[in-house]
Amino acid sequence: MQNNHHKEHLYKILVIGDLGVGKTSIIKRYVHHNFSPNYRATIGVDFALKVLNWDQETVRLQLWDIAGQERFGNMTRVYYREAMGAFIVFDVTRPASFEAVTKWKEDLDSKLTLANGKHVATVLLANKCDQGRDVLTNNGIKMEQFCQENGFVGWYETSAKENINIDEAANCLVKHIMASENDMLQSEVPDTVTPQLEKDKGGTCSSCFRSQ
Amino acid sequence: MAADNRINFWRRNPKVPGSVQPVYGAQHPPLDPRFRRTYPKDTKPKFNNLKSKKASTFHEFARSTNDAWDIDDEEDEDFFLTPGPAPSLSSGLHSASTHNQVTTGHKVHNLQDVQEEERDCEHVNGKVVKSSSETLLNSSSVRSTLKKQQSLPVRPIIPLVARISDQNASGAPPMTVREKSRLDKFKQLLASANTDLEELRKHSWSGIPREVRPITWRLLSGYLPANKERRELVLKRKREEYFGFIEQYYHSRTDEHYKDTYRQIHIDIPRTNPLIPLFQQPVVQEVFERILFIWAIRHPASGYVQGINDLVTPFFVVFLSEFVTEDVENFDVAALPLDTQRNIEADSFWCMSKLLDGIQDNYTFAQPGIQNKVKALEELDAGTLHHHKYEVEYLQFAFRWMNNLLMRELPLRCTIRLWDTYQAEAEGFSHFHLYVCAAFLTEWRKEILSMVDFQGLLMLLQNLPTIHWGNEEVGLLLAEAYRLKYMFADAPSHYKR
Repeated sequence: MQNNHHKEHLYKILVIGDLGVGKTSIIKRYVHHNFSPNYRATIGVDFALKVLNWDQETVRLQLWDIAGQERFGNMTRVYYREAMGAFIVFDVTRPASFEAVTKWKEDLDSKLTLANGKHVATVLLANKCDQGRDVLTNNGIKMEQFCQENGFVGWYETSAKENINIDEAANCLVKHIMASENDMLQSEVPDTVTPQLEKDKGGTCSSCFRSQ
Repeated sequence: MAADNRINFWRRNPKVPGSVQPVYGAQHPPLDPRFRRTYPKDTKPKFNNLKSKKASTFHEFARSTNDAWDIDDEEDEDFFLTPGPAPSLSSGLHSASTHNQVTTGHKVHNLQDVQEEERDCEHVNGKVVKSSSETLLNSSSVRSTLKKQQSLPVRPIIPLVARISDQNASGAPPMTVREKSRLDKFKQLLASANTDLEELRKHSWSGIPREVRPITWRLLSGYLPANKERRELVLKRKREEYFGFIEQYYHSRTDEHYKDTYRQIHIDIPRTNPLIPLFQQPVVQEVFERILFIWAIRHPASGYVQGINDLVTPFFVVFLSEFVTEDVENFDVAALPLDTQRNIEADSFWCMSKLLDGIQDNYTFAQPGIQNKVKALEELDAGTLHHHKYEVEYLQFAFRWMNNLLMRELPLRCTIRLWDTYQAEAEGFSHFHLYVCAAFLTEWRKEILSMVDFQGLLMLLQNLPTIHWGNEEVGLLLAEAYRLKYMFADAPSHYKR
């Protein structure tokens, strides 16, 4: 079962957060390596793909850029389905967008769980950090505490404009997704492997531990 | 339950994509020439002479693209000489194409003959019309020109996006006899003491001549009365009423209760049509903010919903075009007399309000209008989207089609042309739009069926290559929508609720 040398991973990742915090810009920076101050507001959902080489394995990230306006909130359940990880983004220059972070996290956790009942790995992004640090993100200890209390696996100050910490945050998320994927495989009783599983997806792989 | 989840979780995973697709992400409108649609039924190779024809200078480029959309504007619409109320489309099409052969000679417009026509049209009137090489040139140039935009604050060169109006006043070729008689018919209808709105609709269905579009839109939207004598008075009263709202309510945008609404609008305005210089002018952005804020607080059941900002644009451009002889997209609005600016603003507000009155359930809680139409689209779509195979859900792409009335999928000039028909149809925006969406989806059948994985399919659907579209393509789309509408008119299970 472990005789496949080249593994491929496909992860669906959500990017959520209030309107205008820079979700689209972060994805554009991450995928296309560019920035524009005026991307049109996302309506519904936009989709992008990023391919990573990860320890001689290929990781494909489906990035789901989800519209931030509250009115669209009814649709989120459809978009969340089968995601393995998420970024929740706020704008450091707009405290209200930080207050909405817990709301987004609750929405996510209430509509999406992994097969083992756990919540998906979520990284918090304090975006637009090039426009000045806000009081909150200045206090690293407080932010750590906030992440712990609200179930984030980590947080990053990011700037899509200046390309700060985007790759780092994505790597962090991928690492945690792989860990939780591995977790699920471990906890699975071998006899119940479902026939839908592709060979190279089944079983455990030691390389998943390496990146942990 | 846990077991179920596990199955669901894994079901997606075996689908490892087969190829690395170019990533288009969230860019609208689509700019990538590689997805260029060949017209109309895909007989040409997709990647032909992409590089072979590059304009060496902008002037050369500009010359070759001059008024590409203007030339066959009205001629395209010959398909629909008997639109709207006509009970049988096929007979209408037949007579239309026959008529066309007589009037335009070598330009045969007919659903079957369009391919040949495109080959011919390179030399129509000695000007280059929508030839395939030119379209490619446009598409390939647009990227570099877009990048340049930021460093060129004065009249940035953005040839494709720039053509936001489907007809330009300057440099337009002389009207054909038939165009002239069409225009005269409109003028006659508009000049009569009581404009026959039924008749006006009938003629508008196949496109409204630029010169009379502003007043025709005002009439068709129900903003202006059919009675000619009363029009001036109504205009005066409604414009005053709008500015009364501004005076009374606009200051409340900083109130606790409304500041969130205003903030959302304020964030969205600079990114409404970000590539068109006209909409980066502060005076224009302020107009949009006022219109949207006043509309939002007067309609608390929906409030401001993203996408509504787009819907102001066609009205604003059309009403502005009355006062602009050059390119609307670069026009300095602040140069207009203040009264004129205010009239454009008030008229845009009222016409947009009339439009939204018809589709408010698109924007109320849970957006039932959109959900129903997306469901209906799924039912109407006979096998274009083999969604069972790749699990693309209609909501993942069609939500935006409904929420923004296809404005994100089409160039602005096409939306303007589309709205001629929507306003001529009885329930154009609320009902006919669904059939247009179904026709639009069918339009891409070939491309959709050629997609080999989920990613490719979804990215195609979210970035359909319409950048080169003009009146001709919209005309064909509307013809198909019209056919669908009548085909399903007697099928009660389809979209009856």
